[in-house]
Amino acid sequence: MRPRWGSIVLWGGLLVYPLVVSFADSGDFLQDVGATLVLSAIGACAWNIVGGYAGQVSVGHAIFFGAGAYVPLLAYELFEAPPLIGVPFGIVVAVAMAALIGLPTFRLQGHYFSMATIAVAELIRLVVGNWDLLGAAIGIQGPATPRVWWDLIFRSAVPYYYIFLGVLALTVYITWAMAGSRFGYYLRAIRAGERAARSLGVPVRRTKLMALMLSAALTSVAGSLYAIKVGFVNPESGLGILVSVQMIITAALGGAGTLYGPIIGAIILVPVQSATNTWFGGSGSGLTYILYGGIIMLLARFEPGGVVELWQQLRPRLWQLLRARAKTEQARVA
Amino acid sequence: MILLQAAVGGLLLGAVYALFSSGLTLIWGMMNFINFAHGEFVMLGMYVALLVSWVNLGPEVFGPAAAVALMLLGVIVYMGLIKHVMRGPMLSQILSTFGLALLLRYSAFYIFKSDFRTLPDTALSGTLNLGGIYVSRAQLLAGLLAGVLALGMHVLLTRTALGSRLLAVAEDRNAAMLMGIHPDRMQALAWGLSAASAGIAGALMAIAYPFSPSVGETFALTAFVVVSLGGFGSVPGAMIAGFIIGLVEALAGYLIGPIYKDVIVYGLFVAVLWIRPQGLLGTGSESRS
Amino acid sequence: MLLEVQNVSCSFGSLLALSEANLSVGEGEIVGLIGPNGAGKSTFFNCVAGDLEPTSGSIRFNGVDVTRAPAEHHALLGMGRTFQVPATFEDMTILDNVMVGAFLRYHRRADAHAKANEVLRLTGLEAQANLRARGLGTPGRKRLEIARVLASEPKLMLLDEALAGLTPAEIQRAMELVRRIHALGITIVIVEHIMEVILTLAQRVLVFNQGRTIAHGKPSDVVNDPRVIEAYLGHRRHARRERRA
Repeated sequence: MRPRWGSIVLWGGLLVYPLVVSFADSGDFLQDVGATLVLSAIGACAWNIVGGYAGQVSVGHAIFFGAGAYVPLLAYELFEAPPLIGVPFGIVVAVAMAALIGLPTFRLQGHYFSMATIAVAELIRLVVGNWDLLGAAIGIQGPATPRVWWDLIFRSAVPYYYIFLGVLALTVYITWAMAGSRFGYYLRAIRAGERAARSLGVPVRRTKLMALMLSAALTSVAGSLYAIKVGFVNPESGLGILVSVQMIITAALGGAGTLYGPIIGAIILVPVQSATNTWFGGSGSGLTYILYGGIIMLLARFEPGGVVELWQQLRPRLWQLLRARAKTEQARVA
Repeated sequence: MILLQAAVGGLLLGAVYALFSSGLTLIWGMMNFINFAHGEFVMLGMYVALLVSWVNLGPEVFGPAAAVALMLLGVIVYMGLIKHVMRGPMLSQILSTFGLALLLRYSAFYIFKSDFRTLPDTALSGTLNLGGIYVSRAQLLAGLLAGVLALGMHVLLTRTALGSRLLAVAEDRNAAMLMGIHPDRMQALAWGLSAASAGIAGALMAIAYPFSPSVGETFALTAFVVVSLGGFGSVPGAMIAGFIIGLVEALAGYLIGPIYKDVIVYGLFVAVLWIRPQGLLGTGSESRS
Repeated sequence: MLLEVQNVSCSFGSLLALSEANLSVGEGEIVGLIGPNGAGKSTFFNCVAGDLEPTSGSIRFNGVDVTRAPAEHHALLGMGRTFQVPATFEDMTILDNVMVGAFLRYHRRADAHAKANEVLRLTGLEAQANLRARGLGTPGRKRLEIARVLASEPKLMLLDEALAGLTPAEIQRAMELVRRIHALGITIVIVEHIMEVILTLAQRVLVFNQGRTIAHGKPSDVVNDPRVIEAYLGHRRHARRERRA
């Protein structure tokens, strides 16, 4: 991989962000927004594997996020274990749900899969919301004070930020490695034309399933990180449809099916959402989703490739403009 | 006896499900497109009825008003959005109506707040006693009208010239063009019809049941279950499945508990996908990718 | 026999699209499938390719029964196909398109890359390797489809009207490519409308009409077969009458 200056700037910026904003008045708040941003990017990158690269639009990824959020906190509530222990089990649950959904639907048209993801997400939200063992509507809490360091309870957002950043880097690496591999090519072929892919020997059903399971596992990790940082989850925050929407729009706005699209989407959306929340308070979230709906529609209609695609279309014209300017400069000097 | 009562209530609601699900499956069969905002169209029908009641017009206006308003919306959505994303990737197709659903739902939340409302009492209030079974007049009317309209849609599609033109486009777009049918116009009409069916269903339900902006999401899922059970693109299938789902929902609610009725219905959906994805009247080949 | 199709029929509901078709293809042959539109060629073709499941009959490829096997399995066994309307992966580069084909036999990226480049050279596409497929015109897309299938190292290639919609010059280039592929030892079954192609390329021809096969033999014989002439002329006369109406 040729290191491009864009990605160097991006990672460099992400790396120093908490340190830079610590000098600002609202430094703590900005660091917290940063952590949210990185977490949102992880979720979007995870969704991107099955929704962007493979083109299988899951509208119920909250299932996997919720699994990752609930299981670790349950490990604490039921066994007083540090939530971290529960993370791998959360992954197992998420992957199992992925198989449950994917196995019947991936041999059918794409719509069935999308419909099934919404239905199962809602099903699980209802079941969990009425199951006392899982906290019912109230939810589950994690440890209030740190007992050992691996309870991962920090006062400041900065340690969380860097843990999340590490996981994001790992997620991006996994996505990059996958995209260049046989599996990645097959995913893109499926998105580009399933029938043709099949005729070339691509095991379509199996490949989609593996993509969904990988995506589910990574989404589960995002959910776990969320639960560990916030220390609490309930059916709305862990399994609600807005969790799924957030992942989709973040990935799609930045550029579904691209490596950095989801991160770009998070960089755009999280600050905006944070701003509207502070300005409009509670009712702000309602407006946010009206806005999200509009953005998604516009994306679908005009630029489904997101910001990344837009940039790739504009970049040659920008070069032309710069070159024309340079020429007039030269002409003037001469 | 109460079981029978629950069953009757379920069938009446099922008729409404049949009506709006017929609209969804029409689009699916015709354009291979699932409208993720269909539930919101139903919800909007309810609020059109509310607005009409605010200007003191009687319940007989609710249905037609909703039909006209939603038919217009359906056509506009097709011309402005659907027509263009049809040729694009699956992602943009699904996102287009999904985004629309969000927009409509949260706009409704913003304008009307999240409380459940009912329409003011009208001549339709009150309960009838049919041989020991108590049925609210409104529910009976809603169910019967919905059933008639659903049947009417089926007749429209299968026995009129317009219907055969719509089905021709569904069958083979290019052949239809060669026969002088404008596929674009027919598809716009189908969207109008589909949205209108949702709107009328909503208006009918608003007369009989409480409603809020949140019901759109639930009805969308109900519609998905019904069309999957009924079979890809099959309007008669959607009709039968609508009644079945209405019945199952009511019986589950009575026998197990109101909280679990949705769980049973969605569980049934997953079961259908696992066991018989072509549904009741599908042939199986169309549903496969 | 590389391919043995026996008594294959295929119906859609009450419509019998294909009735009792038979075909045996030996290694190294070039066989042509002709017939008017709607005659059952495509149905036959798709059954052989694994896209459709025959209602009855059997298909054996290289000794293996593939009657109910899905298309992926056909490809694995060595059967490749192109599509009547080119189904290239539009947003992927030409190189990446071909690599998808190459990955069938070469699992490592470097190996698939090498194979893809080799195929691009063979098909004359190497100059456009990094162009997106959507930038190609129809002849380019058809060539790309062939390259993509070639990369999967098929024993049998099914070409579905690979030369339709091309100018005479492009047709010559395409026929040259088909001959080159054949020279590599690949067996070819080609569906085609253009008589010149069938007469010059195919060693044997199978004629379809109304779901049945009505003639079979050398191109020169088949073309003069009165039943074949009736099938085509009858159709042309019918088409002319429709246009006037």
